[in-house]
Amino acid sequence: MDSEEEMYDESEEEEVSDDDHNMVMEPEVSSTTATYDSQDETYPHEVLSPEMIVQHMIDCIKDVNTIVELPATITRILLNHFKWDKEKLIEKYYDGDQEKLFAEAHIISPSRRGQASGSSNQVSVSSTTRSTRSRAAATGRSADCEICFSTLPTTVMTGLECGHLFCEQCWSMYLTSKILHEGISETISCPAHVCGILVDDATVMRLVRDQRVRLKYQHLITNSFVECNRLLRWCPAADCGRAIRVNYVDSKPVTCTCGHRFCFSCAESWHDPVKCFWLKKWVKKCDDDSETSNWIAANTKECPKCQVTIEKDGGCNHMICRNQSCKADFCWVCLGPWEPHGSSWAALQRYLHYCNRYMNHMQSLKFEHKLYAKIKAKMEEMQKHNMSWIEVQFLKKAVDVLCQCRQTLMFTYVFAFYLKKNNQSIIFEDNQRDLEQATEQLSEYLERDITSDILIDIKQKVQDKFRYCDTRRSVLLAHVHEGYEKELWEYQGSL
Amino acid sequence: MANIAAQRIQREFREVIKSEEVAKCHIKLELKNDEYTELKGEIAGPPDTPYDGGVFQLDIIIPETYPFNPPKVKFITKIWHPNISSVTGAICLDILKDQWAAAMTLRTVLLSLQALLSAAEPDDPQDAVVARQYKEQQSVFRQTAKHWTYIYAKGPHREAELEAKVSQLRGMGFEEHKARVALSTCDWNIQRATDHLIS
Ligand SMILES: [Zn+2]
Ligand SMILES: [Zn+2]
Ligand SMILES: [Zn+2]
Ligand SMILES: [Zn+2]
Repeated sequence: MDSEEEMYDESEEEEVSDDDHNMVMEPEVSSTTATYDSQDETYPHEVLSPEMIVQHMIDCIKDVNTIVELPATITRILLNHFKWDKEKLIEKYYDGDQEKLFAEAHIISPSRRGQASGSSNQVSVSSTTRSTRSRAAATGRSADCEICFSTLPTTVMTGLECGHLFCEQCWSMYLTSKILHEGISETISCPAHVCGILVDDATVMRLVRDQRVRLKYQHLITNSFVECNRLLRWCPAADCGRAIRVNYVDSKPVTCTCGHRFCFSCAESWHDPVKCFWLKKWVKKCDDDSETSNWIAANTKECPKCQVTIEKDGGCNHMICRNQSCKADFCWVCLGPWEPHGSSWAALQRYLHYCNRYMNHMQSLKFEHKLYAKIKAKMEEMQKHNMSWIEVQFLKKAVDVLCQCRQTLMFTYVFAFYLKKNNQSIIFEDNQRDLEQATEQLSEYLERDITSDILIDIKQKVQDKFRYCDTRRSVLLAHVHEGYEKELWEYQGSL
Repeated sequence: MANIAAQRIQREFREVIKSEEVAKCHIKLELKNDEYTELKGEIAGPPDTPYDGGVFQLDIIIPETYPFNPPKVKFITKIWHPNISSVTGAICLDILKDQWAAAMTLRTVLLSLQALLSAAEPDDPQDAVVARQYKEQQSVFRQTAKHWTYIYAKGPHREAELEAKVSQLRGMGFEEHKARVALSTCDWNIQRATDHLIS
């Protein structure tokens, strides 16, 4: 069998199972998206399993091939060269200089194909002074391999369209070394000096027999396909292995089959209302500042002068030791003397204010699965108290809303951190405060023990609260979005 | 060591031994151990360069993945050249990095290094100090390189004037090589070289 077909056939066989997979997956996707967010539906996206990714790559190649009519493996190199932008490839292919295009993509032009191969190896690449002279010139039925330096029958000598021949064993070792040790797939070139012609998939599949290396190669090719392709993105959840496919790039939420919901544009967890740019800046700031904050958290609070343990009894960080014989003036956060704390202190204080709240919601979200488990137990218990399955569903819904509110609140602190004060920012902060209070109350209700006496009472309270939270969350988001549209937001810090 | 690496070096070694360049004393290759993992190379300074007449020794380490990865090569002989570190002997040359190809050999490496001595690439420097001098003070650079070749590589051109300056600093109690480096770095200005040594 032709080895080119082999690589693509292997994946095509999986096509059958893909369909099954697909059918199982579809309802899952819709079930996870059927929450209170309507935004997912406005941004169409498709979840691709590893097999579907390969299939998608093959489809892209086939699409282009019906037009350009080149071997699939050559088309893949060309597509990769254009970051899998089909239109751009086709445009360049028909409007531009094809010879130049092939040279830039490091492949031998099909029009020159067959001239170099099979004939001698006197290709003009050895013109520079530093290059080796072509040793592989065949003398009768044997030839020298320039890698292992063995004289071998010409039947075991092979190469790419450039005509540089090496023995099959050396090729196999060369490719294995590149794939396994260097993790390269797209950019493996002919081993001849100053040649640069890229190795195609068919050649790899033909010359590498080790299954482990072949799998790694296919894996690397798929990975590069996803990473290069603007319309694809790996699900960032650990060990997920699926990719999301969209029709156009936008900073909108996408939901993977594994349940992870993230921003397609920046791959962070979905972060409405803050924009990707500011979130990126924030994450970087948190990383840079984590040492400072860790130091602060780790330090026990003792008066830096007399070592008496002290408690902070108000919002102000300007501390005065109560030990009458000490009375040291110092800063609560850094424990240094109070005196030099000017504006940099205020900036740190401001950052800590936002950071603490951001972290608080993030931490709470991490316990999400525990809360779901706890709620499930509660729901079971309530069903024992003559409530139907339908009647107890409000609890799950409440947790859903709670998590959404925390996620939104978490990112409102990033948004607010970079926001300049104006009339709109005051409204925003009111909305934020209101949502935060309601969310904490909802959280409290859900933590409470549920006894049969208060069952009806609590149901009403929880329902009212989560509906309120949900409404307030929508109001807050709508206000921020309106602000984006009307350009009401002003930022502090450089863009 | 991988079979192919040892096999390759054995054959390459034989190839270099009988090559015309060896016959003309332009390059030399010696084994340092029986495993073919370490070798000593030697190249003659090319004519019409400040290195003419000098003999430069190289340290060659063969990685296990040879010939799919390049050999590790550095100068043992001290040399004043923009692409070679005057301190460590490390070389900045594309074929010893990403431009290495499995079909290249130690012979081509030695010949490429010889070519590098003929044509420096100051825009891709290994030694910034030397590269600056090469670009801004060609004649001082040539004189310095000749002097280093004479001192360290048995070169024929004695640069009496420069030697005198080194002696002068030695008289002040500085170690000879350090004094030479300082003077070379400061374009042979005694005052600046002294400051350089003190700071
Ligand atoms: Zn071979
Ligand atoms: Zn080639
Ligand atoms: Zn996922
Ligand atoms: Zn984003």
